[in-house]
Amino acid sequence: MKNDLETIKKEIRGLVSELAEIPVKDLRDTARFAEDLGIDSMKALEIVAAVEKKYRVIVPEEEIPTIRSLQQMFVLIEKLLNK
Amino acid sequence: MRGLKNKTAIITGGSRGIGRACCLAFAREGANIAFTYNKSRQEAEKIKEEILSLGAEPLSFQADVKDYTQCRKVIEDTLAKFGKIDILINNAGITKDRALFMMTLEEWKEVIDTNLGGTFNMTRAAITTLMKQKEGCIINMSSVSGLIGLSKQSNYSASKAGIIGFSKALAKEVAPLNIRVNAVCPGFIETDMTAALNENMKKQILELIPEKRLGRPEEVAELCVFLASGKAAYIAGEAIKIDGGLAI
Repeated sequence: MKNDLETIKKEIRGLVSELAEIPVKDLRDTARFAEDLGIDSMKALEIVAAVEKKYRVIVPEEEIPTIRSLQQMFVLIEKLLNK
Repeated sequence: MRGLKNKTAIITGGSRGIGRACCLAFAREGANIAFTYNKSRQEAEKIKEEILSLGAEPLSFQADVKDYTQCRKVIEDTLAKFGKIDILINNAGITKDRALFMMTLEEWKEVIDTNLGGTFNMTRAAITTLMKQKEGCIINMSSVSGLIGLSKQSNYSASKAGIIGFSKALAKEVAPLNIRVNAVCPGFIETDMTAALNENMKKQILELIPEKRLGRPEEVAELCVFLASGKAAYIAGEAIKIDGGLAI
């Protein structure tokens, strides 16, 4: 599972990098989407939609506003994949 | 015809008047129809049969649009049944006409909460889905009353003007995601709402309408079908009058 999780993290970093047009090297896991990376709420939703499509999961609507960093996204996706 | 085949439309206040006409017009175009009603259960059952007879799939909900939780359930159950939402028509609305000096706070709140609050509730409940889909069309039923104001309708006019502002702001917000939001502003249409007017008032109203007749719900429904179609792909944030020239 550890390796799987590392792969997923790498893939999600890649997705965020592509959609938000930020180089992977600048994406610290703890960086806040809005404040540190300048990712607005519309872009954040686009990222969530892309992650949902890739991993065939559904992020509950009430959880979406709580995803404020890559780290928080990893935790949520891991939880959803383990369901 | 059947230009909306495989599309799913949600229509609030679908059992009577303009909402009913929308249910039938969109069913005729082949769309799956999810509609809400508040009290008119018998009419709702009848509409379901009519939708089926037009070869479309109906889904009905007894729901109060003033309640966000109920609106959310409408969206979730529609998604569970049809898999997506293409069109949302926020049509449910009420009037409680009275001169302002006689109007109670309850009459004010009931109209604002149903017409404007209901539009917010349904749209808020659906918008994330539409944004993820990167596709959708929202049509909000406003009124000429929201454009020009009508005497003894300060509550109704305020709610309908609010719907226009809401539609324009949201249209700007979500147009980049391929979601179009527009408002429709009917004038006096032959519905239960206008049937409640007395003969003298009807006569006075007809004098104000250049076309010298009330509109038909089907005419408003056809405008909604057009707005939901690809033919209206470049129309966003508009408030379109359909009023026989009343508000010129």
